[in-house]
Amino acid sequence: MFRQPHTYALPAAVVLLVAATFFIGNDFYLKVMFMTGVFYIAAAGFNVLVGYAGQKSLGHAGLYAAGAYTAALLTAKLGWNPWIAFVAAGAVAGLCGIVIALPSLRVRGPSLAMVTIGFGIVVEKIVTEWSDVFAGQAGIHGVAPLSLGAAPFGMREWVLFVVALGLATHLLMRSLLHGKYGRAFLAVHTAEVAAESVGVSVYRFKVLAFIVSAVFCGFAGALVAQQNQYINSDFINFGLSIFFLLLVLFGGGGSIYGPLLGAIVLTLVDAFLARWPGLQHFVYGALLLFALYVMPDGLAGAVRAAGRKLFPKLHEKEPIPTAVAEWQLQRSEQLPKEAPLLEAKGLYKAYGGVVPTNDVSIAVKTGHVHSLIGPNGAGKTTLLNILSGIVPPDRGSTAFNGVDITELKANEICALGIGRTFQNLKLFTDMTVLDNVLVGLHPHLDVGFWPCMLGLPLARRQEREARAEALRILAFLGLLDKANDIAGDLPYGVQRRLELARALATHPKLLLLDEPAAGLNPQETHELIGVIARIRDKGITVLLIEHHMDLVMAVSDHVFVLDYGAKIAEGTPAQVQANPRVIAAYLGEETAETGVVSPLSAVA
Amino acid sequence: MKLSRVLFASVALALSAAVFSQDIKIGYNSDQSGGGAAEHGLSGRFGVEAAIEDINKAGGLLGRKVVLVNRDDQGQPPKSIQNMNELIDSEKVVAVIGPTNTGNALAWLHLPQQKKIPVISHVATGTDITKRYEKEPKNYIFRVSMVDREQVALLVAYAVKASKTKKIAMIADSTGYGQGGIKDVTEILKLHGLTPVANEKFQPKDTDMTSQLSKVKNSGADVLIVYALADANAHLMKSMEKMNFFPVTVGSWANLASPFVNIAGRKLAENLIFAASVTESSNDRAKALNARILAKEKNLPIFVTAAQGYDSMMLLAAAIRKANSTNGEQVRDALEAVDGVQGIIKTYNKPFSKTNHEGLGVGDFRLAKWKDGKVVDFQDVVTKSITPADLKK
Amino acid sequence: MEALLQAVLSGLAIGGIYALVALGFNITYNTTKTLNFGQGEFLVAGAFIAVATVLLLSGKGYRGVLQPEDVTVFRYLVGFVAAVVVLGALGVLLYYTAVRPFVGAVGLAWVMSTIGFGIIVQATALGVWGPAPLAMPSPLGNDVIRFGSAGILPQEILIFVVAVVVMVALDFTLRRTKIGKAVRAVAHNKGAAALMGINVPMIVILAFVVSSCLAGLGGLLVAPITTASVFMGLVLALKAFSAAIIGGLDNPRGCILGGFLLGLIESLIGLWHAELREISIFVLIIVVLVFKPEGLLGRRIVEKV
Repeated sequence: MFRQPHTYALPAAVVLLVAATFFIGNDFYLKVMFMTGVFYIAAAGFNVLVGYAGQKSLGHAGLYAAGAYTAALLTAKLGWNPWIAFVAAGAVAGLCGIVIALPSLRVRGPSLAMVTIGFGIVVEKIVTEWSDVFAGQAGIHGVAPLSLGAAPFGMREWVLFVVALGLATHLLMRSLLHGKYGRAFLAVHTAEVAAESVGVSVYRFKVLAFIVSAVFCGFAGALVAQQNQYINSDFINFGLSIFFLLLVLFGGGGSIYGPLLGAIVLTLVDAFLARWPGLQHFVYGALLLFALYVMPDGLAGAVRAAGRKLFPKLHEKEPIPTAVAEWQLQRSEQLPKEAPLLEAKGLYKAYGGVVPTNDVSIAVKTGHVHSLIGPNGAGKTTLLNILSGIVPPDRGSTAFNGVDITELKANEICALGIGRTFQNLKLFTDMTVLDNVLVGLHPHLDVGFWPCMLGLPLARRQEREARAEALRILAFLGLLDKANDIAGDLPYGVQRRLELARALATHPKLLLLDEPAAGLNPQETHELIGVIARIRDKGITVLLIEHHMDLVMAVSDHVFVLDYGAKIAEGTPAQVQANPRVIAAYLGEETAETGVVSPLSAVA
Repeated sequence: MKLSRVLFASVALALSAAVFSQDIKIGYNSDQSGGGAAEHGLSGRFGVEAAIEDINKAGGLLGRKVVLVNRDDQGQPPKSIQNMNELIDSEKVVAVIGPTNTGNALAWLHLPQQKKIPVISHVATGTDITKRYEKEPKNYIFRVSMVDREQVALLVAYAVKASKTKKIAMIADSTGYGQGGIKDVTEILKLHGLTPVANEKFQPKDTDMTSQLSKVKNSGADVLIVYALADANAHLMKSMEKMNFFPVTVGSWANLASPFVNIAGRKLAENLIFAASVTESSNDRAKALNARILAKEKNLPIFVTAAQGYDSMMLLAAAIRKANSTNGEQVRDALEAVDGVQGIIKTYNKPFSKTNHEGLGVGDFRLAKWKDGKVVDFQDVVTKSITPADLKK
Repeated sequence: MEALLQAVLSGLAIGGIYALVALGFNITYNTTKTLNFGQGEFLVAGAFIAVATVLLLSGKGYRGVLQPEDVTVFRYLVGFVAAVVVLGALGVLLYYTAVRPFVGAVGLAWVMSTIGFGIIVQATALGVWGPAPLAMPSPLGNDVIRFGSAGILPQEILIFVVAVVVMVALDFTLRRTKIGKAVRAVAHNKGAAALMGINVPMIVILAFVVSSCLAGLGGLLVAPITTASVFMGLVLALKAFSAAIIGGLDNPRGCILGGFLLGLIESLIGLWHAELREISIFVLIIVVLVFKPEGLLGRRIVEKV
């Protein structure tokens, strides 16, 4: 049975830590251990936001402050029980996380940095200036420490408590991030539009990432306030926000162990260089300057790379089976043939003076393969974007399977049963092939946040079933042997198939393909015809945009033709081929000798 | 071959560690590079080091050498707390001298109190520092510095006498130091039967206080009491110059620091009257200490702190001798009993008692100001009219 | 009324500093999609180099104290030249060590590395000059010029004038000269610019040199007003960055507008309620960004699906 080394390493590490706590008599060293743990907890939460969801916040000192001051005010001013105050600190910080999330969602890049910096500074100023409540620089003392019975925690008890909390944090993060949520965060980070198209609500996941990071930073702040029995506004500054970011980036974002390594190294450097502040500054600056150049994936990445070389056996992934069952859609997901599936009426979209979609109405029937053709700039991709919910139409309506989807967002439309691929590949390039497909299964993994985080049997079972199905989908498209390869390393043709596999994983009733043959060689294009036919046989309706006429003619039951944003013809391939308007706009003249249509404006 | 070398080295190391551990360690925890108070921290350290040199030359304490363990807290509470932890738990110092920033002191006071290590604050002047554990059976926090309460008593006495309209305004920075000072000023004004007509605040790094000064001007005050650090006070004077508004201005000893006169300029600096205890020319011992430190360090920004550092160390040494031990509790008890200790500022006759942990009081202070780039005593009609009864606190 | 005039004048002066530094951010952002997060320390370096130069010329040693009579216009100008030269070199060094290894890489590695570079600069300055602020009297004297009962320092007028001159010069260079066109080409599309024969690496280095010099210039202009302190950089740079963002980081005129706007708003709010000054600015910035994420004059980036 496949056992990860983690199962043995973790208990050993915990035993070591606890033993160390009892052996080390020096309170200063214990304090350093305590601070390492505190920073680990903050960094582990922050990692979800920065390393996984990719939202680089420079204002998390504000969330740390929220936790610290909640604990301080509740115990010192209101006399609450310190344990309840501790929990409340995390909750309040989480709420503040929502406050910082909402404006942050609307911006990206340097503007995101600015919004988060602004938030951090506003919180810093509030606790400094609003002295009536927060006591500014004079600070709040008499913050009640945690205690068992009558005796407040001594340094040893604090370290043991932090080890316990750290252990819990690690396990929670591990089960959360190794499953559906971790993949969803990474998907949002790498390719937002693609994530949305496979049913991941980018909005909700970003907010969730902010909340998780806020709660853990809040706990870290509360720990410090309660251990010091004092907090003042000097503890909260921009440098602390940078430190959190450094913990994650230096340790290695996108890895469970990154925050741990970052916390250990940086806290130790800080504590033991304290007697030479000049040197400490230089070391800190040099770390920031060179570390990421030498180790682009942070400490965790470097350790992992070294580990792979030295102990290859430990790094084997779970083996891929050589043969799996045939992939089938559930009976309930298959619709009766010939029924109207999608009806779009009068869709209109304009960008300034350009009108890519000009009063287009199309109807798609279940079980058929439809094609959408037309010259470049005719508005084909825009139409697909409207149908899949990425772009809202200015006018018109779309009904899918009886439901009006005109106003719905992309992830909601995906959940209803429309899947798609993209003209410019949008794979989750840093994830494995298997994980890419597993993200596609996201809308059908209904296990919630808490079962995932706590690693409940329900969550684990769903994960196993999802993995099995993903393997079947890969086998269906001939990608089974590449399951553990990194998506970004694959050749182009294979990548295209992977994106198709990912779209199939969403269990679409209607599959929209945007130029699936683009960039494929003739052999691969020919194989694609077979693939599309097999997909149709599984009960999935297909609507594809293509310029390869032989593919279109061979595989389609019905063809729509767009030109300058308007539908100019539709019908069977033969009918459309003979339509003079279509010939004039797009197809070109039939030559007398060969009878083969030579496309005038089609681009291969 | 190699093994014997290793053995020799380890034995030597162990021996030296044993020898080293015989030394009496005194901890020093202050801001020495962080900004506002760094010059106080540096100067204080020079004074403490000079004292330790003198003590060791005379044979040390209890037959052992005295060693200073220096930590820079950069003006940040988390660092200051960490330093205290290191000094007390890891370095096992007998006592700690420091800090410079009142805010930092407030952050870690409970540590030496709980661990029974005496602390002498040679700079931090916040009144609360020695008062917090006053009611405890044993208070471990002492001070040899210009405690705010006593400074303010002198300043307010002058302000009340100098004000013609009895309208007195206050302005301070937002730090624990400034706001603590304001609290003292308000309370002492009340003892004089007055309420301040304006209470303005600015950030420690601000350089333009014209808007706050407009409000002071509008309140009709003719005397302004300032509580902030040297650089901010200098910018305050420059803002006054911009507005051409020069009320009688009194401030704390912070204005002894050279940034005040460097930034405000010699002429403008003369407009501020402040409290001081000793200057480098007050007595022969002061002159000697000043010359000695300058010879070694080439730059002594603030003499007062060096003197206070020197005196703090001397008092600690006297206590250790009196207790004949390095045990924290015994040294603490001895501090409350020491008598006749010769310091730079004065001779300390029973400076501390169960109820009084302040080595210096208002009787040791006087008013001063900058003139032509030098600190000189300040006397005028008003100062001459101040009687002990006016020094309400 | 006078207080209002006072606030407006001071606001325009400090706004000039923000505008200069913001422009520096714009130049490197446009050409490399990165900026120097340690720009504050470059401000400090500029101020200190200038002070040290004037000190040396006055024969006082680089750690002395400047009196008003020491700072003549000539010495100040020499200080300016020294600062520009040193900061230009620093800009080149910054590019090679902190930016070039990470350009184009996903993630925020360049943020960390430029912050690290800044910390090293700061640690060096701290080691050489110590933590105390260094006074730099203005070369134009310290006598306040009065408009009614509002006062303005000659240095503040100098800041405003220099800022405007520099900005006009840069604007002219960008729009009318060949090298300006080359910079704009690189900003639009590096690959195409290279294919047109433009020496892209040179242009990029030039961008960093100009950006660093602007920061240094800001530092030596503001030092007579706020004193040269090792710790003055962070807040100034942060505010200049905010100014660039609200004006539109990719638009040079937007950055300039943002700088002056921020200076004015800061000054006016300071007049009304001094302690709310910084909170209001940053809340305002967040609000502006929520409604116009690309900044007031910035260009909206649309992702092609």
